[in-house]
Amino acid sequence: MTDAATPMPGATPGKRSSGSLLELDARTRKRNAAEARFKIYGIIAIGIGLLFLVALLFAIVRNGTPAFTQTFISIPVELDEAKLDKTGNRDREEMAKVTTFGYAPLVDTALAKALADKGIENPFEKEKDLRKLVSDSAASQIRDVVLADPALVGQTVEFRLLAASRVDGYMKDRVTRESLARDKNLDAAHLDLVDAMADKGLLAKSFNWDFVFGADASEKRPEQAGIGVAMMGSFFMMLVVLFLALPIGVAASIYLEEFAPKSRWTDLIEVNISNLAAVPSIVFGILGLAVFIQFAELPQSAPIVGGLVLTLMTLPTIIISTRASLKAVPPSIRDAALGVGASKMQSVFHHVLPLAMPGILTGTIIGLAQALGETAPLLLIGMVGFIASNYPDGFTDGFLSPNSAMPAQIYEWAKRADPAYYERAWGGIIILLLFLMTMNIIAIILRRKFERRW
Amino acid sequence: MYDSPKTGTAVDQKDIKITARKVQVYYGDTHAIKDVDVQIEDKTVTAFIGPSGCGKSTFLRCINRMNDTIDICRVEGDILLDGEDIYDKRVDPVQLRAKVGMVFQKPNPFPKSIYDNIAYGPRIHGLAKNKAELDEIVEKSLRRGAIWNEVKDRLHAPGTGLSGGQQQRLCIARAVATEPEVLLMDEPCSALDPIATGQVEELIDELRENFSVVIVTHSMQQAARVSQKTAFFHLGNLVEYGETSQIFTNPKDPRTESYITGRIG
Repeated sequence: MTDAATPMPGATPGKRSSGSLLELDARTRKRNAAEARFKIYGIIAIGIGLLFLVALLFAIVRNGTPAFTQTFISIPVELDEAKLDKTGNRDREEMAKVTTFGYAPLVDTALAKALADKGIENPFEKEKDLRKLVSDSAASQIRDVVLADPALVGQTVEFRLLAASRVDGYMKDRVTRESLARDKNLDAAHLDLVDAMADKGLLAKSFNWDFVFGADASEKRPEQAGIGVAMMGSFFMMLVVLFLALPIGVAASIYLEEFAPKSRWTDLIEVNISNLAAVPSIVFGILGLAVFIQFAELPQSAPIVGGLVLTLMTLPTIIISTRASLKAVPPSIRDAALGVGASKMQSVFHHVLPLAMPGILTGTIIGLAQALGETAPLLLIGMVGFIASNYPDGFTDGFLSPNSAMPAQIYEWAKRADPAYYERAWGGIIILLLFLMTMNIIAIILRRKFERRW
Repeated sequence: MYDSPKTGTAVDQKDIKITARKVQVYYGDTHAIKDVDVQIEDKTVTAFIGPSGCGKSTFLRCINRMNDTIDICRVEGDILLDGEDIYDKRVDPVQLRAKVGMVFQKPNPFPKSIYDNIAYGPRIHGLAKNKAELDEIVEKSLRRGAIWNEVKDRLHAPGTGLSGGQQQRLCIARAVATEPEVLLMDEPCSALDPIATGQVEELIDELRENFSVVIVTHSMQQAARVSQKTAFFHLGNLVEYGETSQIFTNPKDPRTESYITGRIG
């Protein structure tokens, strides 16, 4: 690239031509051309990067946003006393004996009645065929409401029921009449009905908070699945990582950087910390399995184990960034503190550490963000799969009861067969990215806040 | 400070603040200071002059053991402060540095307020019982640093926002705030313009009333202006030490003469 040594043709080597300043000589022209070329390469590189970023964001937003809306069917359901509470004394124990199978016919009847009320012709002979329009979760939704308030039995209550995932898919253009030909669940008559119901306002799409705050659902009911519980799993893991990795990492780096004598041992430790940062995360997963679950007998699938594994993974990142920011503090500040008679520790804690704080915090948050998006180690400690369908009860339970994590949940959805889950995987990615963006914004704000001018 | 009796006779010690005997300093394999013997008087300004790399700053940093922070640095010989060996095992360098303050080449105020810059030393040494006393120390130190009038209205503004010369006087004020007995200055004016230099030199002359001041300088004019005693270092050796007027007008050693006249250095 450099042409310092090559003599230019035409110019006498070793002697500069004494031409006019207004004319470029051959050498200058060549150097300018090289510079212009380099700028173009740079712009091309940035352009390619931006292009990929835009393509990625476009794909995520396009595929992910439908996951945030869901089709609901709003109908009045008559809570028939004869079916739900045969004894008639509204005893909760007694009523709990009626399973969701007992509730399903109520939904069928309610649907048929709602259709008749709105003047929509029901093409099916059996009421049961209508059930395919509604999610399997509808019966249990009604049952939960009834058991919570037995006084409702005998009344007609307005319910907002999830539509079946294929109906939802049809409303979002994911399911077409052509694709239905290969599908045994719905047929064209159902879709005609859906169109008519949407027309009359019985069926509508709306924002689905349950996707953000709900729990994972079984393979058969993608319309019910949400990422909320996995979010809690991630939250508890991040708590573990923050409260272990930050103090341990910062203490280790302060010792290594400020106190440790420079010897072969500290060199060895340094090299190994750098190496640890490059170890594939799945290795940390199997380490966690062997040490925390098999040896220490901590519960499987628990966020505390995930947190410990991710702590191990994050530590090198935090140590490296902390050491770099400690190194960046000018030595004159240490001299100044020692010069007025501060001890080593006082000089570090009063002067060096506050100045290194923005770097330490940035490193920590980047480490946390990395840990938040990590899936591979979670595979090995049993945090991927259909794990928790309920929020943990309380704080300790949050650490100890089986749970998943956001990236693991996304992975789990992505590998399920139903295309409705594919859509939810993209939606999950949007939520994960929002989390990462929030963390990065916090990092930037903290950086600004703690930064001091010289 | 310690119960051990002071070494040497009282007569010898009367005006001598620091005594160095056969001081050797090594940086790894490099022999940076060779056999330096010097006696620095109390309430006097002593200047160390010499070409770059001659070891004058290294020797200065030995006096408050700042060289301890450099791993490969090794000091041999004795340096006595008021007759006590500062390299004795029982001496904590932190306590020593409270007695022997230091001002560095580049102004290095803490990135805190002017007030906190001065108050830091007294705070960690517990020199003030309450806020009022601390305020008093800060004012007194800033007055001694000849910067009080310029900063009294903005004590809580950052010290790093001052000009270079003000910063250096702030650093001097910070150094005197801990009530040291000796003040070491490592080329305190090298980063300053002539006006600020003049102010700092004036200040050094005033400080002589209370402290023993040792100053390293590259400027021979400065050494001649501010000091009473001058030591000339060359290649790690203390070549000549004596009254400033004698060194500059009638040097005994030919090397001193050639340095002063500008032939070496």
